[in-house]
Amino acid sequence: MTVDASILCALREMSWGVSGAELSRQLGMTRAGVWGHIEQLRALGYDIEASPHRGYRLLSSPDSLHADDLYSRLGLTRVIGREIHVFQETTSTNDVAARLARGEAREGAVVFAESQSKGRGRMGRVWLSPAGKGLWFTVLLRPNIAPAGATQLTIAAATALARAITLQTGIVPDIKWPNDILIRGRKVAGILTEMSAELDHLKDLLLGIGMDVNLETEDFPAALRQTATSLAIETGAKVNRSELAVAILRELDRDYDLINKGHFEVLAEQWQERCSTLGREVSIRVGDRVIRGQAESLDDDGALLVRGAHGHLERIIGGDVTVG
Amino acid sequence: MDLKDIKAIIDLMRKNALSEFELEKQDFKIKLKRGVSGPMLPAEDTAALAYGAPQVMALPAGAPPPAAVPALAPPAASLLEIKSPMIGTFYRAPSPESADYVEIGTEVTPETVVCLIEAMKVMNEIKAEVKGVVTHILVENAKPVEFGQPLFRIRPA
Repeated sequence: MTVDASILCALREMSWGVSGAELSRQLGMTRAGVWGHIEQLRALGYDIEASPHRGYRLLSSPDSLHADDLYSRLGLTRVIGREIHVFQETTSTNDVAARLARGEAREGAVVFAESQSKGRGRMGRVWLSPAGKGLWFTVLLRPNIAPAGATQLTIAAATALARAITLQTGIVPDIKWPNDILIRGRKVAGILTEMSAELDHLKDLLLGIGMDVNLETEDFPAALRQTATSLAIETGAKVNRSELAVAILRELDRDYDLINKGHFEVLAEQWQERCSTLGREVSIRVGDRVIRGQAESLDDDGALLVRGAHGHLERIIGGDVTVG
Repeated sequence: MDLKDIKAIIDLMRKNALSEFELEKQDFKIKLKRGVSGPMLPAEDTAALAYGAPQVMALPAGAPPPAAVPALAPPAASLLEIKSPMIGTFYRAPSPESADYVEIGTEVTPETVVCLIEAMKVMNEIKAEVKGVVTHILVENAKPVEFGQPLFRIRPA
C-alpha cells in the first residue's frame, strides 16, 4: 500500500483522530514527512483537521475516485483490486485494460475512468459516461478455464453488481437476461465482456462495467429517460461512488473465488432468483431474425430457453432481448 | 484494366490457389475461374488438384500410382481452418454499421481480427492466428455457431 493509502486507512480506522506521532511510527517516517503527505491529500480535496488535542481527523473525502483512496477502503481481496488505475478521461476503460493486459498488468487489475469519450455497449453502441457521475471501469481476469466458461463470469458479474447495490442502497435490483441490472424495469448498469482466446484456452477477459450512480434525469438524453435510471434517481440521494466501487470489487472477488473453486451453481441460483426475464413474453433480435416466445427457464450454461408460438423450445445464447 | 492487369490477377490467383475471382466496377465486370469446375471439393483436395494436376502430366511413364500425387503438393498448399472456440453467434462486423472485418481475398496476419463471436454479451474477437489469405467464409452473419465449427478457410502465406 502507498503512503497516502496507509494514511487514509489510518484516518478512517481512527475516525476520532490520530496523532502525528502515531502516524509517523506506523509509516516509519518523520512527522514532517507525514505533514507533507497530509498537505498533498488536502490539495486533492480531503478535508483533514489537525488539532493539538486530537491529532489528524478526516472530516470529508472528495467525490472523486483515487487509486490510493480505493486501496484504503478496499482492504484485502484475493484477486480483484490488487492493482487499481484511475484515469480522468479515456476512450474506454476496456481499451486501456486491453493495453495493460498486453503489458505487465496483474490479474485482477482494475481500470476506472471518471469519464469515457467512447464508452461502448454491445455491437458498437454508445455507452453514456459523463464525468464524475458513474462508475465506468474494467476488471482484467485470466481465469484458467476454456473459452466457453466465460459466460459464467458474466453471470458472476451480474450477481455481484446486484448484491453491491443492495449493500450500499438497500435497493434489490432485477437482472435482465443475460446481465443488465434493472431497477423498476429501467437499466442502471450494464456489463460488456470482451475476451481473447485460443480454441481451448482463454487468455484475457475484460469485464467492462458501467453503472449509472449519480446521474440526474437531465443527464440522460430524452430518448433514454424511459429505459435508463441511476441510483441517485432511485434513492433520491447521492451515493458515495468510492464506497460503492469497493463494495462491487469485494463482491466480484467473492464470486470469482466461488467460480475458481468450482461452485458456479451457487451463483447460477442467485442469478435465476433475480432474473426478471423468466416467465415473460420476450422477443430476441439476432441479426435480421426475431424470435418471439415465452422465456421459460435457463439452461445449465445460462442460455435462455424460449418457448415459441408453436410449442418448440429455442435456446438463446445472444442477441437483443426485449421483454413484453 | 488491360491484359497486363488481368494477367497479374491470374498470377495472384495461382499464387494463392484461389479458384474464383470477381470484380465489378461502374461499367466493368470481370469474372475469372481456374482449375477445377463442378462441385466444391474439400479444401485439401482442391489444393492438391490445383498444384498437383500439372505435375501428373509431367510424370514419366511407370511413375508411382496416382495415390502418391497429393504428396507432390507443397505443404503450404493445404488450407487452414479457423474454428469457433465457443458456442455463440457469429458476426462478421463489430457493429451493424461497420464494414466487415474480412472478405474473401483479404490478406491476414496472425493478429488480424476476422470475426466476432458473442455468447451472453461476452464478445470474443477471433484472430486469424496465421498469415495468409481468406479463401472461404463458411458461416453467414448473425448465425449460431457450435464449439469447434469451422468459420473460415485461410491459405497460409
